[in-house]
Amino acid sequence: MSTTRAIINARLVDPASGQDGPGGVLIEDGIIAQIGTELDLDAADEVIDARGCILAPALIDLRCAKEPALTPDGETVDTLCASAMSGGFGTIVLAPNTRSPLDKADGFAGMSRGLAQRGVRVLSACGATQALAGEQMAEIGLMVRGGAVYAGCGDRPIADTRLMRRLLSYTSQFDVWLSCRPADASLSADAVALESDWSARVGIPSEPAVSERIAIERDAALAELSGGKLMIDRLSTAAGLDALRHVRGRDLEIAATVAIAHLTLNEVDAGGLDSAFRMDPPLRSEADRQALVEAVISGEIDAVVSDHRPTPYDDKGEPFALAVAGTLSQETLLGAMLGLVHDDEISLLDALRVLTCGPADLLGLPQGRITVGAPADLILIDGDKPWVCQPDGFASARGNSAWSGRRFQGRVLQTIVAGDTLYNP
Amino acid sequence: MSRAEFSYDFPHRHLVSVADLNPVDIQIIFERAAHYLAANRTPDKRSDVLRGLTVLNLFFEASTRTQGSFEMAGKRLGADVVNFAMANSSASKGESLSDTARTLAAMKPDIMVVRHPATGAPQFLAERTGLSVVNAGDGMHEHPTQALLDSFTLSQRWGEVGGRRILIVGDILHSRVARSNIGLLNILGAEIRLCAPPTLLPSDVDQWGCDVFHDLDEALKGCDAVMALRQQRERMTGGFVPSEREFFHLFGLTHERLEAASPDVLVMHPGPMNRGVEIHTRLADDPERSVILDQVESGVAVRMAILELIGANIRKEAAA
Repeated sequence: MSTTRAIINARLVDPASGQDGPGGVLIEDGIIAQIGTELDLDAADEVIDARGCILAPALIDLRCAKEPALTPDGETVDTLCASAMSGGFGTIVLAPNTRSPLDKADGFAGMSRGLAQRGVRVLSACGATQALAGEQMAEIGLMVRGGAVYAGCGDRPIADTRLMRRLLSYTSQFDVWLSCRPADASLSADAVALESDWSARVGIPSEPAVSERIAIERDAALAELSGGKLMIDRLSTAAGLDALRHVRGRDLEIAATVAIAHLTLNEVDAGGLDSAFRMDPPLRSEADRQALVEAVISGEIDAVVSDHRPTPYDDKGEPFALAVAGTLSQETLLGAMLGLVHDDEISLLDALRVLTCGPADLLGLPQGRITVGAPADLILIDGDKPWVCQPDGFASARGNSAWSGRRFQGRVLQTIVAGDTLYNP
Repeated sequence: MSRAEFSYDFPHRHLVSVADLNPVDIQIIFERAAHYLAANRTPDKRSDVLRGLTVLNLFFEASTRTQGSFEMAGKRLGADVVNFAMANSSASKGESLSDTARTLAAMKPDIMVVRHPATGAPQFLAERTGLSVVNAGDGMHEHPTQALLDSFTLSQRWGEVGGRRILIVGDILHSRVARSNIGLLNILGAEIRLCAPPTLLPSDVDQWGCDVFHDLDEALKGCDAVMALRQQRERMTGGFVPSEREFFHLFGLTHERLEAASPDVLVMHPGPMNRGVEIHTRLADDPERSVILDQVESGVAVRMAILELIGANIRKEAAA
């Protein structure tokens, strides 16, 4: 069934081309056929008048998680997709974590095919080491052949420098990113907070910010040595950012992501020791947060990720230091990001770049931009609509949100993937 | 400043952190503790002020003296005291603290005395159950009753703690006793000194309103009291000092080193002591200097005072 749809009278914001102005698109067979204010509407079966709305590429999330299959009341692919759609995501990537290490080559291709039928484009990364234990390499080559879009190390850094060298070297033959959490394994062992005035006073295990710097310098040196592609997974400190700037002067392929939590929250939010704010990496100082926002503006950050992590109620039913890390974030990511825009910390184009063409370019995806010939993965946003985050109303199966009760301004009106509207509340 | 001038009642229903207390609160606790200290020395120790209330001792870490002290305090006030040794119970069967809390709260106790290895656990339990919570030590965070009994012991000797110079020596990094004492002594206006190797000091300790030393002889100069702290092996990963022998030579308290302190210097230790590591065994047993057993005695009196004051507020709330 081929339909032709048009969206007109919108404020068209496309970070890939830098365009921000009045416009619309004509969609034919799920592909963007025309762009501009003078569309050929005669052929259109449906015309959406998007006056007052922002039309942007659908968002792309390089790091989210569902729960293992058969987890009672758990986050399934279905609920994750529903959550992604309502958050404005057209493409999401499942990243490995210790509950779902994604480290088995058997069935990986079948899983990828199953994920591809969901409306929302669901891709999967693969675990770089067996069970993410950081000891034995997983069958990365077979999993890449089965559809894995990058290899990830989960939440724990690779402690063994020799293994890290081999991982970078081995993955280089497949031209995939090796995504690794930048932390020195011994300096950051058992840490649940940044080493700071606050964490020292409340006496919780903490890591110094230089742990990130040490890891980035080590891993960049190894990437240079081996020719591997290094993705810094969730950069979170100004010290780490300094190291990134330093190593970017060298001849190597390096990319960096930042989680939405570190861009919009800081350790003061965790000051009441509410387990909802227990995260990996831990929340950082306000100076770190500001440095990360600056780095997004300057283009040094390639992608902002949700790091959406559903956990059972009981995982947060422990005091801060013992609670399982992670927060739901797909449904609140755009609201939190638009908060930065409304506060004049960042422009809308810069905010959307790291959520659309930035991550798309890392993985070589054609979507994430509004150009003729690109897949029609689009969102319509009311940039001003106020709402309050209430986890009970989430499409996600869980409720662990660090943004619970927050007020946001700006909400997704429609999520369109391959020309079809998947979400239109 | 006396209570009558302010017609002020102790307002708290919990004791989670010393930071919740103001100088008048502390004075009220000390007045009641002095009363119980005297009463505890008579054969008629029993009172009825907590009759009808149930005190739950919830210890997720092994404890002998603190748990015993709270139990004795509760019983002498006529409360029903129930001990739950959580270290080997449902917590180890995979129940979350949140569920444990709700289960215990359903048994309708009135006051929970909580010790837990994680920072913030008493606050967490107070929020989840609505019951009155007394913090008996949470991780490396706070141990407020210990700090209160330390200052109470000193005030019994000196009258006022404010203006005195007090040194805390030893493993400050891992110590909840040190954190609570620093908070409380600051409120009371004492001059606080800390002495430890840099590996056993928190990273931002220079901002804690204390003078920091790495040389014990220098630190001891003019001190009115010295508090030695044990190395918390259970909270340590890896080595922080090369050996106990070296630690004793550099940071161990002895009669000779105390020459530099005030002539009437008092020596304290929250226990349990490692003789020959942080304190010389002869000094620990010297009745002229050591108030270590006075601290234990004060502990029961201070905990009686706290349970009494909190119990009164529970009754007041129930009546209202």
